[in-house]
Amino acid sequence: MGTNTTVDYKKEYAGYWKVLIGLLILTAITLVQPGMFLTDYTFATQMLIGTIKAWMILMYYMHLKGEKLIIWFTWFSIFLVAYFFLLVGIDVANFQFGDVSHITSPAQ
Amino acid sequence: MSHEYVPEIAVDREGKEHEVQGWQDDIYGGKLGFWLFMFTEVMMFGSMFLVLTYYFTLHHQDFLNASAGLNRTLGGTNTVVLLFSALTMGLGLLKMRAGDVKGAKLMIWATIFLALVFLGIKAVEWNAEIHHGIFLTLPALQAGNPDSLPFGQILFFGMYFTMTGLHGFHIIIGIGIMIWLLKRINAGKVRPDHHILHFNIALYWDLVHLIWVFVFPYFYMIGAGDIGGVAHGH
Repeated sequence: MGTNTTVDYKKEYAGYWKVLIGLLILTAITLVQPGMFLTDYTFATQMLIGTIKAWMILMYYMHLKGEKLIIWFTWFSIFLVAYFFLLVGIDVANFQFGDVSHITSPAQ
Repeated sequence: MSHEYVPEIAVDREGKEHEVQGWQDDIYGGKLGFWLFMFTEVMMFGSMFLVLTYYFTLHHQDFLNASAGLNRTLGGTNTVVLLFSALTMGLGLLKMRAGDVKGAKLMIWATIFLALVFLGIKAVEWNAEIHHGIFLTLPALQAGNPDSLPFGQILFFGMYFTMTGLHGFHIIIGIGIMIWLLKRINAGKVRPDHHILHFNIALYWDLVHLIWVFVFPYFYMIGAGDIGGVAHGH
């Protein structure tokens, strides 16, 4: 939606319900996945389903479809979070302080 | 230090200049400003997820074990409740834009009702956990005593209460601003031709939903051990 406030009610109404059904199906998959498929990769699969749901919410419920500037802002914010994940991921993959860290064991 | 008054000038499609009297109908500006606020929320919750991932990597098995003890049925129910509340909020905005103010108010009330259901379910969950001796202040989550859970589980539950608590706080704030929105609609300040506040509150509610989309699997479904189990194995 831009600054135009006119609305095709029936079309948008149907759109909201379609997205709801999609999100409900994905939620059902979230709940049954650990017992049905990709059982060795539950965490990754769950996050993937979450990302698809998030994309649907952003595009349709939060009206990002058709936006330009705000989409770029959103990508930038996702990039920043991902960058921090990457940095910390490298750090944790080479964790050197297991014996002395309060993160790996409680303070004595 | 005083500031000289400098009028804001806007230019219309014909190139004529007008002095701006107010920005109340600047829908795009209002929307953009609210998105900037929401990015700060992404940073806040993003950093919490980062800490969560850090601990999860270092205490993998403890996290899987602790996650298996959460009540997946109640967590899943809350996911569906929040999903429907996103629908009612969205349809409310749609009704407002289409001129159906009464219908819009009804949808906002429905959203408030679903938000209260969500909080009620969350309260039942937290109560059960407290009943099992698991809460931030109780011995099970304090290191170095006979009742302590394994260290990784202490971190898991610490993050669980912090993040679901912060999310719950956002739900409470959401209920507050929805009641405020209803007052603004009743006062005629939010109308079909002037609905940016309604638009932004709907965005806020979607963000609260969006955060839950990741909170739910990360805590409740994490390794999906003890599938379907609702018993607290502590």
